[in-house]
Amino acid sequence: MEAIVFFVSAAIILAGGLGVIVLRNPVHAALSLVATLFGVAVLFIDMEAYFLAAVQVIVYAGAIVVLFLFVIMLVGVDKAEDIYAEPIIKQRQFAALAAAGMLILVALVGVAFAGDVTGQPSNEDMTISRAIENPDGTTTPAETSNINQLAEALFTDYVFAFEITALLLTIAVVGAVVLARRPKGDLQPLPDVEPSWALRKPRAVTPTEATDPSAGDDADQDPDETTVDQAATDGAETDEAKA
Amino acid sequence: MLATVLAEVAPFVRPHIDWHAVAPELTLLAVGAILTLIDIVWLERGRKLTSSLAGFGLLLPLIPIVTLAVSDSDTRVMFDGAYVIDDYSLVLKAMFLLTGYVVVLLSTNYIGEGDYWENEYYGLLVSSILGMVVMASSRDLISIFVALELLSIPAYMLATWRKRDVRSNEAGLKYYLMGVFASAIMLYGMSLVYGVAGSTLLTEINAALSEGGSSEAVVTLGIVFVVVGFAFKVSAFPFHTWSPDTYEGAPTPVTAFLAVGSKAAGFVALMSLVVVGFLGRDDVFGPLFWVLAAGSMTFGNVMALRQKNIIRLMAYSGVAQAGFMLAPLAVAGTGGTSADTSISAILTYLLIYAAMNLGAFAVIISVARKTETAELESYNGLFTTAPVLAVFMTLFLASLAGIPPLGGWFAKFSVFTALTNADTGAGYALAVVAAINAVVAFGYYGRLALRMWVEEPYLGDKAPIKVPVALGFALVLTAVITVAFGVYPPVATHFTDVTLVAGV
Repeated sequence: MEAIVFFVSAAIILAGGLGVIVLRNPVHAALSLVATLFGVAVLFIDMEAYFLAAVQVIVYAGAIVVLFLFVIMLVGVDKAEDIYAEPIIKQRQFAALAAAGMLILVALVGVAFAGDVTGQPSNEDMTISRAIENPDGTTTPAETSNINQLAEALFTDYVFAFEITALLLTIAVVGAVVLARRPKGDLQPLPDVEPSWALRKPRAVTPTEATDPSAGDDADQDPDETTVDQAATDGAETDEAKA
Repeated sequence: MLATVLAEVAPFVRPHIDWHAVAPELTLLAVGAILTLIDIVWLERGRKLTSSLAGFGLLLPLIPIVTLAVSDSDTRVMFDGAYVIDDYSLVLKAMFLLTGYVVVLLSTNYIGEGDYWENEYYGLLVSSILGMVVMASSRDLISIFVALELLSIPAYMLATWRKRDVRSNEAGLKYYLMGVFASAIMLYGMSLVYGVAGSTLLTEINAALSEGGSSEAVVTLGIVFVVVGFAFKVSAFPFHTWSPDTYEGAPTPVTAFLAVGSKAAGFVALMSLVVVGFLGRDDVFGPLFWVLAAGSMTFGNVMALRQKNIIRLMAYSGVAQAGFMLAPLAVAGTGGTSADTSISAILTYLLIYAAMNLGAFAVIISVARKTETAELESYNGLFTTAPVLAVFMTLFLASLAGIPPLGGWFAKFSVFTALTNADTGAGYALAVVAAINAVVAFGYYGRLALRMWVEEPYLGDKAPIKVPVALGFALVLTAVITVAFGVYPPVATHFTDVTLVAGV
């Protein structure tokens, strides 16, 4: 059973990993990363590291991939051609070299420690997170298991910090909503100060660019909004640029 | 299935919670929640009441603080010593609440008249103060970190509250990035310290670090990183770079809050960490604080001499003042009573600094209401246009400079006492550096005072300045405290003569 789970999840992991580098669309690549991370979580369950599995799903598959997607969406998804640009010269060759080296290293480590790998969970003496049936018929309660210990610590010694963290998250949400919310009523003109940094004026859209679908972000803007902002801000930065 | 699993689990023992001891925090939490939710119920109608509600709400937790202070049991310890209520923490809690109250007074007109979200502003302000109140009692790495984040994250957002102003956005972003960077460094340091000590409790860390035998490099790195993380928070040289820009861009009441509350909270964390946690490793933190203190005093003063903007001047003067407050920590570990003397000196300095700095910001806000600029020139001839404000400002500036018999003088005096009390070469050397800097500081404070009394009015505009009631009350309150602490120092020492109890 364990072997079947291992091979299935290993296949998922490898397929996901391949997908990350093969798929053209960055969003699809990020989603296949989820498959890889999910497969790793299944492997953790297979090894009875339930807490690690949960954290793997929550932190990696949940938060980090969402962050990836967030950045991809901000940068723009229709930039498939950027994949062919190489920021570092010969980076593909280097990557191939590095991958080969890594494979050899793993193989060497595998050979060197071949005798030590048993495939058994290593925490026999620390008790695993389910009750153990003793030979004489009684069961040892799972009081010292990972998750129980963690819960115990969270709700006894660290309960204050835990509650404060909950409050902190609430406050972060309130603040983020306030900062992101548009002011009521019409847009007020921005002050006439030209910042010395970062904010750029919207590029003038030429007719050829406007008809060309691959012209970039400026062409994608809602035309109504652009005119409102242009009128209100007298050619200064748009509200989107500020936000 | 679930029932059998639950049956196997050992029975859950509720942690001991002393509800009287956490009453101030709970009250403050309730006030913050009400402030945030009231907008949903009352919509626009509650606008006028919000700031008074926030003000009185911040004074409300003082009641449990007073009952705790007069109650029989001196020290209350919870969670194995992670959360300690002693005289030290009660004094600081009261200070943070009063600071918050004065900041609300400063904000009332500023936030009410601008195009700002009022309820959320006060809600975030209250939660930031809750973080400071929690910080005062934290004696555990995790509590300290969570308290730091609770007080910082609302502050990041408050700094960028003037959403339509590019400089405010810059201020918030800079503060946020620098703050997160500092937190990361500090967390790394904390993880190293935890790795050596095997516990997050400061008392056990002290035991583990003093014992020796652990890797020197890891201990040194851990302590240095933790201290550097908080040096960002208190804007000590060379980690002060965010402060002038953030102070300038943020709404002025928020600047006052950052300059006083946020900075004080950083010092509270440093005091708890150093005196309870790292005291045995004087060889590591002593020289570190010596350099930070001397550098902050000197650099802050030199830069302040060259400023043309009052807010930036206050920012650099704040860096210099932070140097004065860091100085006693450099000699805190020299044995004898030096730890207690240092704590008392810093506490005295913090109380007086809060009063005089908030007062100076109250004048700055009042003046900017008319002149709408923060250039130093706008203070020219303030005596002719607003004689009362000019007198108040002179009072606060003189106190900041340390002229007797005002509070600032006594604050500097207690720092010198702590430094010389240690009776070490490093202590005397730092006292000399501090003395030189105290004289240099006269340069910019005095020049500003001179502008108000001697020069012709700014732009020839002799129209008087109207001071709203809230601002006026803040001015009187801070001025009374500043003068009282200087004229009769026992008022201050009565509160600040505490020992930092390690708990358990």
